[in-house]
Amino acid sequence: MENLKITIALIVAIVLQWTLRNVAEPFAYVDLPLIIVVYAALQRNSIKALFFGTFAGIAVDALSGGLLGANGFSKTLVAFVISEIARRVYLDNLLLRIPVIASACLLDDLVYFGMHRLLGQNLYNPLIITMAYTLIGTTIAGTFIYLFLDSFSSSSLRRRKKDYFAPRRQTRRRNPIRLGRK
Amino acid sequence: MALERSQKEVWKLTPWLLIVLLLANFILMAYDARAENEERVIRVWTQAAANFIQSPVTTIGSAVTGYINYLTNLRSAQSENDKLKQKIQELEVAVQESKELTVENRRLKSLLELKTDSEIKIIPAQVIGRDTSVWFNAAIVNRGSLDGVKLNMPIVVNGGLVGRVTAVSPLTAQIDLITRDKSGLGAIVGELGSSNALGVVKGTGDKDVLEMHYVPGYETVKVGDVVYTTGQGGVYPPGLKLGEVIEVRTGSATVPHQIFIKPSANLYSMQEVAILLYTPPPRPKYEEALPNAVNEEEKSESLKEKK
Repeated sequence: MENLKITIALIVAIVLQWTLRNVAEPFAYVDLPLIIVVYAALQRNSIKALFFGTFAGIAVDALSGGLLGANGFSKTLVAFVISEIARRVYLDNLLLRIPVIASACLLDDLVYFGMHRLLGQNLYNPLIITMAYTLIGTTIAGTFIYLFLDSFSSSSLRRRKKDYFAPRRQTRRRNPIRLGRK
Repeated sequence: MALERSQKEVWKLTPWLLIVLLLANFILMAYDARAENEERVIRVWTQAAANFIQSPVTTIGSAVTGYINYLTNLRSAQSENDKLKQKIQELEVAVQESKELTVENRRLKSLLELKTDSEIKIIPAQVIGRDTSVWFNAAIVNRGSLDGVKLNMPIVVNGGLVGRVTAVSPLTAQIDLITRDKSGLGAIVGELGSSNALGVVKGTGDKDVLEMHYVPGYETVKVGDVVYTTGQGGVYPPGLKLGEVIEVRTGSATVPHQIFIKPSANLYSMQEVAILLYTPPPRPKYEEALPNAVNEEEKSESLKEKK
């Protein structure tokens, strides 16, 4: 069920990425497929995340003026890095996910830019400004999308999260007056 | 226990899978970088699939935008109506003059025994998609190989040249704008035949500026001069308007001018464009084979003539 949810979310994200820029230019600064790839990587299933990264990247590249495979390369790498971090560090908290999506966005942009430069291609927009806008747009959109996706979490996932954070056992307060007595 | 083992296997497998996928993507990139002027199969078929989604979204989007614009424009309708009436009168006079000029032109042409006007066919197209990546600015139009569109065909709007076709699927085509820094075309400041200010116009990567190189420093170029294509380079036909000169860094007898041009076409809010079904004249075989190659036949002929 969880897999199906993320697959549907990824397809919707790709379709929106194809169409939204035509509706309004600022939507170009929101990398929707990256948000879903990072979400998949956070589920600690690295193989699925890697395939999602490649698929989403190539789908985006196919309708772009850039090199085919550049987004696939960067998103696959991002998926691997995030899933490895998520395997070692607990990242199910929404507040922790905000810096994760922000750094994923930065890494994705840098790798994408670097691969184009490596193959002798110049990009249309300046690096720093584009990265800054994409960082802001993707992080804000990502936070809301994660909230939305988490609200559809399956019961097993909720149970797993509950297990990670079992309620703290309340220790009985001991009477300090009694402690002094023999 | 079994679940734990399988998890370990997954962890072992992941780096290998990462290497395979990265390598596959890199090969795709390298292939794409090399085969820039050829048909690219994955791109073509993804575009064809995306067309079924993009077309309805664009139609609905433009209908909504059109309705909003209609409501906004109602306010200024009366004053605009008056202006238009005045303009119609002016245009009527201009049409009359142009009719006279056409008759005169025909007469002069028949005197010179020139052939008929350009036979380049034009098909209108609607922009249905913009670049999915924020780093680029390509566009996708709703005409493809079924309509006769081929690679490298020029795209124009009312104002002038927009770019060329870089990928064609059966129903759609991807266009690259002239402002992209990889584009380059032969151009002339002023009209062909009356000016010698020939050069090469290149994109700067900047959204609104083109740069013209190699115009000899002794040629007179002024701000406001119009720049046209010359047809050199074999992609664009001659005589298409590119834009107006906005800045000239004057050269000298040995140093060429550096000229900056503002494209006359509005490249970033275009909704409809026209594709010129233009096939450039075939290039000699020796030109296709190697850059700067010497044509042996011509060389031997010139040697014979000298002898």
